[in-house]
Amino acid sequence: MSDRKRLLTPYLFVLPNVLIFLIFVVFPAIYGLVLSFTKWDVISDPVFVGLKNYISIFSSESFWDTTRKTFIYVFAVVPWTFVTSLALALLLDMKIRLRSVMRALFYIPSMLSAVVIGVSWRWILGDNFGVINYLLERAGFKSVGWLTTPSWTMFVVILVSVWARAGYYMVIFLAGLQSISSVYYEAARIDGASVWQQFWQITLPLLKPTSLVVVVLTGIEAFKVFDLIVVMTTGGPGKATTFLVQDIYRWAFERGDLGYASAMSVVLLLILGLLTAVQFGIAERGGNAYE
Amino acid sequence: MNKWSKRLAELSGLLLALVFVIPVLWVVLSSFKSGYEIFAWPPTFLPENPNLGNYVQALKKSNFGLYFANSFYVSTLSTMLTLVINSMAGYALAKFSFRGNRLIFFSFIATLMIPLQVILVPIFLVVKSLGLYNSLWGVIIPPAATPTGVFLVRQYMITIPDEIMESARMDGASEWKIFWIVMMPLAKPVLTALTIFSFMWRWNDFLWPFIVIGTQRKYTIQVAIANFVGQFSVDWNSLLAISVLAMVPMLIVFLIFQRHFMKGIALSGLKM
Amino acid sequence: MKKQAAKLLIVLLVVSALSIPALAQKKVLDFLWFSDGVEGDVLKEIIADYQKIRPDIEINVIETPFQDLRIRLQTMIAGGTPPDLSRLVNVGDFAPALLDLTPYLGLEYIDDFVPSTHRNVIIDGKLMAVPVDVTANGVIYNKDHFAQAGIEVPTNPEDVWSWDEFVENLEIVVEKSSARYGLAYDYTFHRWLTILYQAGGKLFTDDWTAMAINTPEGERAIEFFVELHDKEIIPRSIWLGGENPNTLFRAGLTAAHWSGNWMLTNYRDNATHFNWGVMYMPYGKVRSSVLGGKYVASFKDSNHPEEAVEFIKYFTSTEVNAKFNEESLFISPRLDNAQLHYDFGADMFEVFSRELAVSPPHAGSDWAHPFAGRIGDDLRDIIVEALQHKLTPKEAVEKMEQVGNRILDDYMK
Repeated sequence: MSDRKRLLTPYLFVLPNVLIFLIFVVFPAIYGLVLSFTKWDVISDPVFVGLKNYISIFSSESFWDTTRKTFIYVFAVVPWTFVTSLALALLLDMKIRLRSVMRALFYIPSMLSAVVIGVSWRWILGDNFGVINYLLERAGFKSVGWLTTPSWTMFVVILVSVWARAGYYMVIFLAGLQSISSVYYEAARIDGASVWQQFWQITLPLLKPTSLVVVVLTGIEAFKVFDLIVVMTTGGPGKATTFLVQDIYRWAFERGDLGYASAMSVVLLLILGLLTAVQFGIAERGGNAYE
Repeated sequence: MNKWSKRLAELSGLLLALVFVIPVLWVVLSSFKSGYEIFAWPPTFLPENPNLGNYVQALKKSNFGLYFANSFYVSTLSTMLTLVINSMAGYALAKFSFRGNRLIFFSFIATLMIPLQVILVPIFLVVKSLGLYNSLWGVIIPPAATPTGVFLVRQYMITIPDEIMESARMDGASEWKIFWIVMMPLAKPVLTALTIFSFMWRWNDFLWPFIVIGTQRKYTIQVAIANFVGQFSVDWNSLLAISVLAMVPMLIVFLIFQRHFMKGIALSGLKM
Repeated sequence: MKKQAAKLLIVLLVVSALSIPALAQKKVLDFLWFSDGVEGDVLKEIIADYQKIRPDIEINVIETPFQDLRIRLQTMIAGGTPPDLSRLVNVGDFAPALLDLTPYLGLEYIDDFVPSTHRNVIIDGKLMAVPVDVTANGVIYNKDHFAQAGIEVPTNPEDVWSWDEFVENLEIVVEKSSARYGLAYDYTFHRWLTILYQAGGKLFTDDWTAMAINTPEGERAIEFFVELHDKEIIPRSIWLGGENPNTLFRAGLTAAHWSGNWMLTNYRDNATHFNWGVMYMPYGKVRSSVLGGKYVASFKDSNHPEEAVEFIKYFTSTEVNAKFNEESLFISPRLDNAQLHYDFGADMFEVFSRELAVSPPHAGSDWAHPFAGRIGDDLRDIIVEALQHKLTPKEAVEKMEQVGNRILDDYMK
């Protein structure tokens, strides 16, 4: 094969994906970037406003407040989802009985639509007809405002988010665990390493590429959380659980200001891009994880 | 691992699975309850008189057979497309160093960060000008290029030793053959995960088909289900019943493919 | 194996390309619609009738969840392919994209409709939509709960309860019946307005250029609403936790639901295990309901404006409109349909129409303001802050005035 053909190969391989991306994502995103310098309610003509949207975003108290709450949510959801899904994957990677059944059971929550997640968790934690409050009252305690007290609400949306996504990331970890050859474990066992040592010295380091996927994806997903929050708390009480994308959505479709919403998305993209770059940076410094 | 720790693992696994599945179980059981029982006080778990009333009523209300067929068509084709183009891209990004590699890779990931809601208008314009509006192809093709899929495949293929490719090249295999015959089988675990995911993504998609499809006849199941949520009320009976039915195909796909998550199958080819 | 898969793919491609329906030369009108009760089914009957008279027309109903209506309309309008027809709740909001109906129907077309609807559909002197039904806010109550507690609701509009009596009686019902809470209250700004009007307040100045909420009456309305929550007559989970009030009432958890006439078919079909009815709302300074409505409009860029207008004319004609409202249990906006024959709940409609009759003018016109919908959610957030006691009623109305005026100024430009 000629060298030129060889050079071309990777480009041909990425081409179909890149093409669809350029047409359906990159082009619309550039259009969105342009929109962020306008005021547009879609129905009338857009008006160019320069940096006005950005200036009002950065000087808006509520934007910073929402960002702060989003960070709290993300920094709770990411580690908990990571630990839970990894633990589930390790458990189900063992040769235990009923593991196919258990795998399916853990995976099922990630198939549910947001509306269904909302209603089923309301049945458990709802203030008025939740089972837990019912049991608390029966036992003589006061019922708890799981969904009406700001601090509890934050806890509840974090809990439900982890519950809803852990099975999904478990599947990614399960796939990643397959790439670790059993040769390593056999060698470790001969050396007399404990299960714990095997985990820290073999599993975790060799799982690094997969771990990076999980951390990056959970991070992005948590930052963009929307449906789940709307059905659980509608972003309340007040704005206690209103995160960035819900705020963006409200600007675009309740107040009808697509320009401002686009500018907020650009800011969101910058924050996320920075965080992801940091994640890759850390992973690369740790050695051969990224490449 | 000794016998006792294995028993312990089984026990804790089952307990955990129970906790995980209680809300889901409530959904399934409630779909057999009569309207007022679903939110009765005190709360109930088991239906008083289990009956199929909700299913019958919901299925009568709208053409759900057709919506299921549409969803199945869309999800299957889109998943096939995803598997091919995502693994091609993931393979190239993992195993070739070329100018633009990192740029392309990070651009893929960056697109995950854009909230779809905000760019719906330009997306709609593109879809329309390509003649994909109101066509199921508009729901199949654009979402198939998933960044997550590329990312998953790439990260997995990184762990496959380069020597395998090199030796195939020495044997004079074409680049396509190396990818299709050598690499794809080795990536089976991640492709399995991607199949399960992609089917689920497309099956559960709401926003994209909602925007692209403007004829009731072409609705997918999730677009149809969304109509059970009214301005001020929710038709919980129908919603729960159809949601339970809608889970079945995803579960079947999962059960069919999950047997590939068995230790040892994937890398048998690697034990050289 | 792989070749087979490829073949299968090609076959599927070809089949799907061929299966593009060879439609006859029918004109297809897209009609965007959202439903809460049975009105979608009634519409489909009406369309079937229409297609019999006009075999050249096919009306394609695009059912859309209300919460996604705006998203769909925005994209369709921006994409240059708006639907031919749409059901709307706020005409002014979409006015720049709507088809001016005046050349087709004439302004006098609206003379057959109740005057309170006119400000909703006539924008800058042009007829932009036609009312299909009017709505009235009201209180639906669980008769069994009230009977258990031995409380009789006022049946004569002359001696309705005051706010304080309303609160006292609901407290008695909660104490003496199986109801867990007194009142489910919809989580919308529009519903809260009922209390504002009852307090004697109003939202906008008469010329619609500024907010008029920062008054002692506005304060009183907030204060009363906070009281209803502090006394746990309204469960906090609705306004603070997103609980669905309709679900609470249907489950028999609350003794009443502060909602409106559009809920009737929903409760007829779903609240079947207890008796319920409509009661007169209490008065603050005055009695008041809130007049709302739903409209049908066409769009400037519609491909079939004439056919669309013809259908609007048919849909809003005396007989068809009567059928629509009688079967959906709605109130007709047509003057000649003031007396409809409902198979269900005729007594309830009596209550609603009497409530509308005594409502002050602002209770009909405020919500016609093109930006009322856009302001509503922000102002609702401020009410929530008052419920959480982060703001006093005084501070709340001040903030509502300030936020509202800012949005108004912004859009007036």
